[in-house]
Amino acid sequence: MTDTTEAEPQALPGDGLREGLVDELRRRLGEALVATELRPNDDLWVRIDTASWREAGEALAAMGFEYFCYLSAIDWMPSPYGRGEDDPTEPPPERTTEVVQGVTGGATRFQLLARVTDTRRHVGITLKSDVPDDDPTMPSWSAVYAGANWHERETHEMFGIGFAGHPDLRNMYLPTEFEGYPLRKDFPLLARMVKPWPGIVDVEPMPADEAVPTESPDVEHAETDSTAVAAAAAAEPDTSEPGDAST
Amino acid sequence: MGLVDRGRMPGAIEKLMNLGRSYSMWVYQWGLACCAIEMGAAFASPRYDVMRLGVIPLPASPRQADLVVVSGTVTDKMAPAVLRLYDQMPEPKYVISMGSCANCGGPYWDSYSVTKGVDQLIPVDIYVPGCPPRPEALLEGIVLLQQRIKHEDMAAKWRGETTEPLRREPIVVGGGNVA
Amino acid sequence: MTDLSERQQLSYIAGQAADARLNVELETEGMTLNIGPQHPATHGTLRIIVRLDGEQVVWAEPSCGYMHRGYEKLTEVRTYPQVTTLVNRIDWLGSFANEVPFILAAEKLMEIEAPPRAQWIRTILFELSRIANISLFLGDLGVQLGAVTPAFFAFRDREHVLNLIESVTGGRFHPNFDRIGGLKDDLPKGFVDETRRVMRKMRTYCDEIDDLLIGNEIFQARTRGVGIIPKDVALQYGLSGANLRASGVDWDLRRDQVVPMAWDDVDFKVWTHPDGDSFARCWVRLQETREATKIVDQLLDGLPAGPVMAKVPRIIKVPAGEAWVSTENPLGEMGYYVVSKGDLGPFRVKIRSASFNNISVAPWVLRGVYVPDVITILASLYFILGDIDR
Repeated sequence: MTDTTEAEPQALPGDGLREGLVDELRRRLGEALVATELRPNDDLWVRIDTASWREAGEALAAMGFEYFCYLSAIDWMPSPYGRGEDDPTEPPPERTTEVVQGVTGGATRFQLLARVTDTRRHVGITLKSDVPDDDPTMPSWSAVYAGANWHERETHEMFGIGFAGHPDLRNMYLPTEFEGYPLRKDFPLLARMVKPWPGIVDVEPMPADEAVPTESPDVEHAETDSTAVAAAAAAEPDTSEPGDAST
Repeated sequence: MGLVDRGRMPGAIEKLMNLGRSYSMWVYQWGLACCAIEMGAAFASPRYDVMRLGVIPLPASPRQADLVVVSGTVTDKMAPAVLRLYDQMPEPKYVISMGSCANCGGPYWDSYSVTKGVDQLIPVDIYVPGCPPRPEALLEGIVLLQQRIKHEDMAAKWRGETTEPLRREPIVVGGGNVA
Repeated sequence: MTDLSERQQLSYIAGQAADARLNVELETEGMTLNIGPQHPATHGTLRIIVRLDGEQVVWAEPSCGYMHRGYEKLTEVRTYPQVTTLVNRIDWLGSFANEVPFILAAEKLMEIEAPPRAQWIRTILFELSRIANISLFLGDLGVQLGAVTPAFFAFRDREHVLNLIESVTGGRFHPNFDRIGGLKDDLPKGFVDETRRVMRKMRTYCDEIDDLLIGNEIFQARTRGVGIIPKDVALQYGLSGANLRASGVDWDLRRDQVVPMAWDDVDFKVWTHPDGDSFARCWVRLQETREATKIVDQLLDGLPAGPVMAKVPRIIKVPAGEAWVSTENPLGEMGYYVVSKGDLGPFRVKIRSASFNNISVAPWVLRGVYVPDVITILASLYFILGDIDR
């Protein structure tokens, strides 16, 4: 890939640089640039129209974003299993099923997520694009960024999103006979389904203190701010409903 | 050893042979994940130096090994390979399961791709808990295994009676029971 | 040394020719060789399937997934403090460095910043894990070429660094020491002097490796001009860290981005190498280890006083939002895209690990090389299986 005149290195990354990038992208992509979000001196998000995903990659590559960082996807549907902390003996609680997209909005359950970087101007862009709900297939980037090949395989395996034009969408991680798409929110973690999450059980007494009633770890460690947080990391019972200690 | 063939063995000879076996174990290192580095520290570093215990690391193949240390996460994709390598080892063979992942799945107990313990695949003699265990813990596991080998009934083993309580009951380094 | 592009062309032509020979049935029949998944020369359980024509590789395909543990799914059912415990184990040689970008991302979403002392200690531990990580790489490099001695050197001297990390965090290499808003604890007494001593020792170790291995004639013969990755290919595949710098790209996230860490306050050189071959990658790593010891020394000089923990709520809830933070980890760019919905745990975490991209170039770079070079090229790319498969 060669330098284009638009990709003249600038001294410092800043607002002007990122605003210029948005303008440049809009000039190249026109209507296909659906939404942008710019946090000054921090980061830049753009949402690309589904059909122009590949063109967006080509445009960015031509603008000097030669470094391919990653490509993945997000499933915006809230998990029907919550955080997997339900007691299997109880009926599952009511959960919202409303799909709410994040930064730069969107209209579909799945969104592609990718990031490319310009190593000379030290600036990166996070790209998003809606994946059609009825036919989750996107144009492949593997001809634009060679590194996207494996990332698309991974995304295909984890989310079940197809990539038109990808040379080889075999499974990357899991055995071929594996069923389901693990990173979809409705993929259950069976180990959490069949037995109660250990966190809902209160802290077990140490073997020697069997006779002593169990103390809450909050009381034991909450002397200073820092140790309190340490305790929060070490023991999790406060993050869940206190459950039956005998389970 | 015609005596052993006939399933009899004088006590003194048995003691001698067990002593010899316990201090000349070839260990096949099964580095799978993080624990492999601690195992490497125990086997290859001058600080821990497993050879002073009479254990020789780095055989060329599992077919030459007496002991295997399964160190690290066994995934469902890896499981067939683990089983095959274990089958290639000649009897008598011993297994040390090193680290929480190999013991029970460890921090990945709820993962969709991790085997919850190598004992689902192969019989384990020694469990070394920890995430990862310190090299000293692995060395203790090896010492405990050597003590067990010293008390083994070789003749019974030869006759195919593998029901000796010592052989069946796994040891946990640092105490505790296998649930 | 032959010119870079010329060598690359030659290897390309050799690859094409090997391919063509396979098609023409005059030649010997090709052979498929399986390396791994359990092989002492791979850092973990990587399996590589290579198609050979004689001694030459015509096609190579790494087969990953033998260490896939499902981190990205598991983060969705963990709380923020619990995620640190998990991500420690991605790149298991530089554990502390894995925690930092995740914690920084969570702090960014919560709009808090660790106090200066915590940032400095974080940077010190970050660089110590880099030294522990790369020193083992340098020793292991010898093993892959048939020289066993450097590995003993590496395990000997790495212990000193692990002792330092253990004295601070209590863990030899899964510290789980980083907290949102700072660190669990301050440095122990005597740490500064001991670290200075160890840093001197590590510089001696680097000199030893330089003499023993990098300067060795056989080593150079086997790595120079082998496995060349030109700049544009390296960028396209998203190679990062020393692999990218060895291809002549002057890019180091420690210097080139603003994160609340102490790298801005120290002086260090970002080493690059124009060749892009296996030797360059090893050489850059050696220089980086030296540079890291100097960074640690400088950080010890200017260590600010003060608390190591900011005021954070008792139970950590991260406000809704999205943040991307990446840092220059021992293996390369490691980043987390954290999506929060205001819950106790993240909604989605995309883990961008360096080795996944670094090894994705393998099918390209292994075409046309000879079988013994497969091992050296893979060794010089330096991957850790947990970092590929996650």
